[in-house]
Amino acid sequence: MRKGESLVAHMDWPLFVSYIVMLIIGMATVYSVAYNEDHPNIYEYSEKYGKQLVWLGISLFLGLMVFLIDSDIYRKFSVPIYVFTLFLLVIVLFTPKINGARAWLGIGTMGVQPAEFAKIGTALLLARFISTVNVKQQNIQTVLIANAIILMPMVLILLQPDAGTFVVFTSFLFVMYREGITYDPLILKLINRIPGIRFKETWVGGHFIPILFVVIILSVITLLMSNEKLEFSFLPNVKVPGFYSVVATLFLISLIFLIFLRVVSARRERGRATLVVILGFSMAAGLSSMVNYGFQGLRSHQKDRIELFLGMKEDPNGKDYNRNRAMAAVGSGGFLGKGYREASVSSVRSNHVPESETDFIFCPFAEEWGFAGTFILVALYMFMLVRIIIIAERQRAVFNRVYAYTVAMILFYHFAINIGMNIGFAPVIGIPLPFFSYGGSSMMSFSVMMFILLKLDSQRRDVLQ
Amino acid sequence: MNLDARRYVILAFILMVGVIYASRLFYMQVVDDQWVLRAQEIAEKRWEISPPRGVLFDRTGKKIVSNRTYYNLMMVEDEIEDLDTAKFAKLIGWTREEVRNRFKEIVRGEGTYYNKNTHKRTPNYQKIRAYPFMKELTLEEVARIAPHLDNFKGFHEEITSMRSYPYANGANIVGYLSEVSQEEIDEDRFYKPGNNIGKAGLERFYEKELRGRKGIRYIVTSAMNNAIESYADGKYDTSALQGPPLKLGVDILLQAYGEKLLKGKRGCIVAIEPLTGEILALVSSPSYDPNLMIGKRNISMYYPKLLLDPSTPLLPRPLASEYPPGSTFKLLNSLIALQEGVITPEFGAPCNKSVVGCHNHASAGNLADAIKHSCNPYYYAVMRRIVQQNRKKSVFADAEVGLNRWVDYMKSFGLGRKLETDITGLRPGLIPDVAFYDKWYGHHRWAFSTIRSISIGQGEVMITPLQMANIAAIIANKGWYYTPHFVKSIGSKGPLPEYRRKHFAKIDTKHYDIIIEGMRRVVYEPGGTGRRALLKDIVICGKTGTVQNPHGEDHSTFLAFAPMDKPKIAIAVFIENAKGGGGLWAAPTASLMIEKYLNRKITEKDREKTIIDAVFSYMR
Ligand SMILES: [Zn+2]
Repeated sequence: MRKGESLVAHMDWPLFVSYIVMLIIGMATVYSVAYNEDHPNIYEYSEKYGKQLVWLGISLFLGLMVFLIDSDIYRKFSVPIYVFTLFLLVIVLFTPKINGARAWLGIGTMGVQPAEFAKIGTALLLARFISTVNVKQQNIQTVLIANAIILMPMVLILLQPDAGTFVVFTSFLFVMYREGITYDPLILKLINRIPGIRFKETWVGGHFIPILFVVIILSVITLLMSNEKLEFSFLPNVKVPGFYSVVATLFLISLIFLIFLRVVSARRERGRATLVVILGFSMAAGLSSMVNYGFQGLRSHQKDRIELFLGMKEDPNGKDYNRNRAMAAVGSGGFLGKGYREASVSSVRSNHVPESETDFIFCPFAEEWGFAGTFILVALYMFMLVRIIIIAERQRAVFNRVYAYTVAMILFYHFAINIGMNIGFAPVIGIPLPFFSYGGSSMMSFSVMMFILLKLDSQRRDVLQ
Repeated sequence: MNLDARRYVILAFILMVGVIYASRLFYMQVVDDQWVLRAQEIAEKRWEISPPRGVLFDRTGKKIVSNRTYYNLMMVEDEIEDLDTAKFAKLIGWTREEVRNRFKEIVRGEGTYYNKNTHKRTPNYQKIRAYPFMKELTLEEVARIAPHLDNFKGFHEEITSMRSYPYANGANIVGYLSEVSQEEIDEDRFYKPGNNIGKAGLERFYEKELRGRKGIRYIVTSAMNNAIESYADGKYDTSALQGPPLKLGVDILLQAYGEKLLKGKRGCIVAIEPLTGEILALVSSPSYDPNLMIGKRNISMYYPKLLLDPSTPLLPRPLASEYPPGSTFKLLNSLIALQEGVITPEFGAPCNKSVVGCHNHASAGNLADAIKHSCNPYYYAVMRRIVQQNRKKSVFADAEVGLNRWVDYMKSFGLGRKLETDITGLRPGLIPDVAFYDKWYGHHRWAFSTIRSISIGQGEVMITPLQMANIAAIIANKGWYYTPHFVKSIGSKGPLPEYRRKHFAKIDTKHYDIIIEGMRRVVYEPGGTGRRALLKDIVICGKTGTVQNPHGEDHSTFLAFAPMDKPKIAIAVFIENAKGGGGLWAAPTASLMIEKYLNRKITEKDREKTIIDAVFSYMR
């Protein structure tokens, strides 16, 4: 068997196909949202869709290059790659500001954002580092080095400033969590100072990261919903406080988990798992109600400050104004949408939703295709993420697995924050929707990231360990 | 520590977010309506296009109410934001100088207000009000300018469709338009502030037909408030539809002639085509030129004047003025008596002036001569027989039975109630009944002798000229009528259903011949009271009336139809406070109208001149 053939044969086709499908839908959406009657041709370079098509071509070309290079190179050269991306992040700080941030390198329209590529560099180095340590004997030094790898680009990105990408870098914490590099050693060091206590490990320390994130996400969603009243067209005069819907959703999720456990888990573990789910639900509901009633009980100026920070306030000049318009665009899509190229609120021409071709591209998509479209899109992302995790878990090499997880988590962050800001679940911080948003840097970095993963996966059998 | 299990924590975390997002999207997009409304608020604009109103034609096809449509380019100074004068001037085809001067001209044109107390002069011009910058633009000019107006804040086009009346006649028939009131807007969502609505006459009665259907265009607008494209490719748009034309039974030339005849007098003429019930003319004098009541400016200028004019030109007298019918009423009492069988055509009665006054004539030996002479004592005798038929022992109870029967007949002639004519402002008149007299005199406290003045159409009886003309039509038809109406067709449809239904008076056909013969004698036999209505080649049947009036001279009235064998016109003339009886003024007026309508020319030039030239003292 020739090498090329084996590459194609061993490539993960479900992931590749879902990636291509995403690219096609994304391209169609850019064409629709930026459509200009004077230049209807999609190849028209003066229009955004023409440019996006060029970026798409470049991305696929880069992907092909990546796919042809021997996968070992990424592990070997992870340090130079990381240093190079850090170097670019430093360079970019000496460029003039564009839209209030020093984020662009390059000339005119063909500029790139180094922060997008720093994700890849960081992912590779983190994978390399974790693959070299024995997690069974992890210590404070391991935790600190891993954190330093993440923190260095984060600080540089914050200097630009680029809050969105900064937040995305916290996705690496989940990868560390999966690999067992947690903050437990730090917590143990603190706790074991107390006389008479000598813990080997703590549950809270071990699961510190997911717990922290659940707490943060639940709090933010509860806060955002606390001022809302849900109304139903088929139930007039009934107004449900938004907080109830949070608890109801939690309950629903717990129920799904319980049913899932009945089917999957062994009889022996079932009792314990059920207890965990019930306990988890009680704690989550408790936290949510604490946040809700705590917030309601706050004095108005304190409330104002939180509302302003989360962008819940109606401010015609503020960012929430965009979010409100974006939500109007999404919500007005209905079940089947308004039809392709019929987005009346969020098309670039109408300009009611600024950045509707970049950060808010979910808007025109949701407006045109309705819930039918958005549900399929969410499902597609879910499929992609689950697929990447399946790929990650079948790797023999730790490097490959860690890298695959970074791809999954970065993708997940972009998905969750970007769509969250279109549906009022996340504050407005500008990060692109992968494969959709207009712009070359994000398209290229996600494509390269994806092809490195596909390459590593296709050669997973070559790795002996 | 089992690290492999952590994959499930991460998977659960990811899937949980996916489920939450999908449910949130379902709620936002499918369940919650607020975003749809918000989106419409943001991006959609509803443009209403008002069609021109339906036009009105007379029975000969002459356009008597039409539209003049034009556009004004309006300007609100307060809303103007950094106007590019050069660009704007280019758009409207003016020079920059002209544009600047026009602003000054508008301010100047509004004039100033001089306060006597403070000796200060302040301009009337207000920055927040809209003033026409360019007036009466053509459709082509508007099509060129309007699409670009979004770039010039503070300017907008305004469509104005105004009525115009090629014939300055029939103001009380057609009515007028005026701006809708807030109550009318609240009542009917069709109207927006500034819209016009019919306020009187046919304009009001046929408002729903005439206004047509508004066109609605849904436009997608941008953040700059520019129209981008039609919403959903115009799927929900509807085009404006003009109201259907109304064809009236009115003969505008006859109407104009009637108005000419009544110049200088207060009075009415109502002419009806007996076969169809179509109103040929409805003259109310004095009237006004309907062209005065066009547009806000004119209305605010002329309406108060017309309203306060002591000769009440706004009052549609033929519909709204209730007069005692006078001697014309004798025709109905004759018919009722014949139908009741209390007299025969050969019934005679002495002209006994000790009961009631009469003029000098030989006593009537039969009914036809009694009509000819309009003998008052004769009709007292007739009415006594109707009211006191000796059906009850008590004279009071007997009168009650008799009057009840009489009222029943009168109602069948369309009296004592509003006719369902297609116009507003109708009054019912009054036919006094038992309840009426019981209230007046007390139960069983009245009999014929108490109420006898109704025999000769005086006393409590009240009738409108329209009702009187309808009586002429009923007699001409020998017993039936269509409710008098103006509109004979609405677009391609006929009149309203109500006007296709025959109504019957409760009198047998055979009784009419003798009455009609009496009416002929009124005009054509020596001693007849309506000799001045005589025409040589048309046989007119008529009946005069002289209505006593405590406030001045008697009213002169005449009821007629012609020709005798095949009636084509039934007419009632009513001239207020005319010195001399019905024969002197109303009868010749009616004959001129009949001749004008049937022959289209006037042979009795002297008669015409006398009537037209007469100006009564109260009008001077
Ligand atoms: Zn007499």
